[in-house]
Amino acid sequence: KKMASKIRVVLRPVKSIAVRFCPFEPNVESTRKFLGCINHKKIQATNRNCEVTADVRHDGSEPLVDVMFADGDRLIMKGANLTTIEMLTALGSRCDAKELKEEQKSKKSN
Amino acid sequence: PQPGPRSLPGPALSVSPLSPGWLPALQLVRRGSKAVTRHWKAMHFQRQKLMAVTEYLAPRPAIPPRCLPRKKEPRQEDNGYERLLKRQVEEAFRDNRMIAVCQFNSMPGEDVVLMRHYLRKHNIEVKFFLNEIVRPVLSQSKYRNLLPLFVGRNILLVSREAKVKEMLRVLKGVPQINLLGACIDDTILSRKGVESFARLPPMEAAQGQTVGALTFLPSHTSSLLQRGSVYLTALLDQHIQRLQAGSPAQAAPAQSSGDL
Repeated sequence: KKMASKIRVVLRPVKSIAVRFCPFEPNVESTRKFLGCINHKKIQATNRNCEVTADVRHDGSEPLVDVMFADGDRLIMKGANLTTIEMLTALGSRCDAKELKEEQKSKKSN
Repeated sequence: PQPGPRSLPGPALSVSPLSPGWLPALQLVRRGSKAVTRHWKAMHFQRQKLMAVTEYLAPRPAIPPRCLPRKKEPRQEDNGYERLLKRQVEEAFRDNRMIAVCQFNSMPGEDVVLMRHYLRKHNIEVKFFLNEIVRPVLSQSKYRNLLPLFVGRNILLVSREAKVKEMLRVLKGVPQINLLGACIDDTILSRKGVESFARLPPMEAAQGQTVGALTFLPSHTSSLLQRGSVYLTALLDQHIQRLQAGSPAQAAPAQSSGDL
């Protein structure tokens, strides 16, 4: 039973995060909490260049989190049926994997 | 020395314990260490057995509690504090023309103070309320459709005048606050609605536009109705001019036909 704000995500390989939701829909709670956690000081401090944009619409579309990585990868999470913790852990695991790859690459080149 | 208790000869009860030179009747001696030691001392074997036998066994219910239906938590009584906060929420909704709901992601304290300062200049107040207090108040008032907005951390921006443009400008400068929706003059608007509301012209211009639009059709009708007689008078005027240019002597009969 982890608290969503305790999960640490290293945002270094991330270029930008776009969160899109429609606040009058009933299924946006986890996406809004995700946005709140991402904007936390400690996570923002891991990468100051990462832009977090929130797109508030009213067209009944489902909540969406669009993450662009620095190496061109794209992660799209449809938050309608996901919990905040799941989204954070998914993003965190992918960021860690990319960090490891980068470290290995830099070690090989050095 | 032999292990086990060692009793002294002679009666021990006749002498009181406080008088000097009294030793206890039984002295337990084993390996020279005292009763109170700095290390964990092994218990006497009998004591160990006793402790093992009398260990605490937690009572286990026949059916584990997670298989039973959950007990409804008994509703706590209404705090005076909660009532006060609910009253404040109702007041805020009643007194102010414009109420905007924004999502509040964590912001450094100085930024919050700065933002409050800028908004206060335009007479907009920033209020924090807990969701548990706001939700029951809203569900009983007429603002039921604002209920789904109150999830997570929110702030309310309330104001007596509808200064939407300045509010949007201030909020644009603060990236961590996202406008979710607003209730202006008892109309619930989404974010796009708020932006288009900001772009509306002022009241007098809007009124002028409405009046112009409303009077367009009747004026068109009246011009249509008058078109026949206007055309006739124009034709007659032209006729008069031609006659006057042709023969000025026949001006009198032409004038009488023009006066019809």
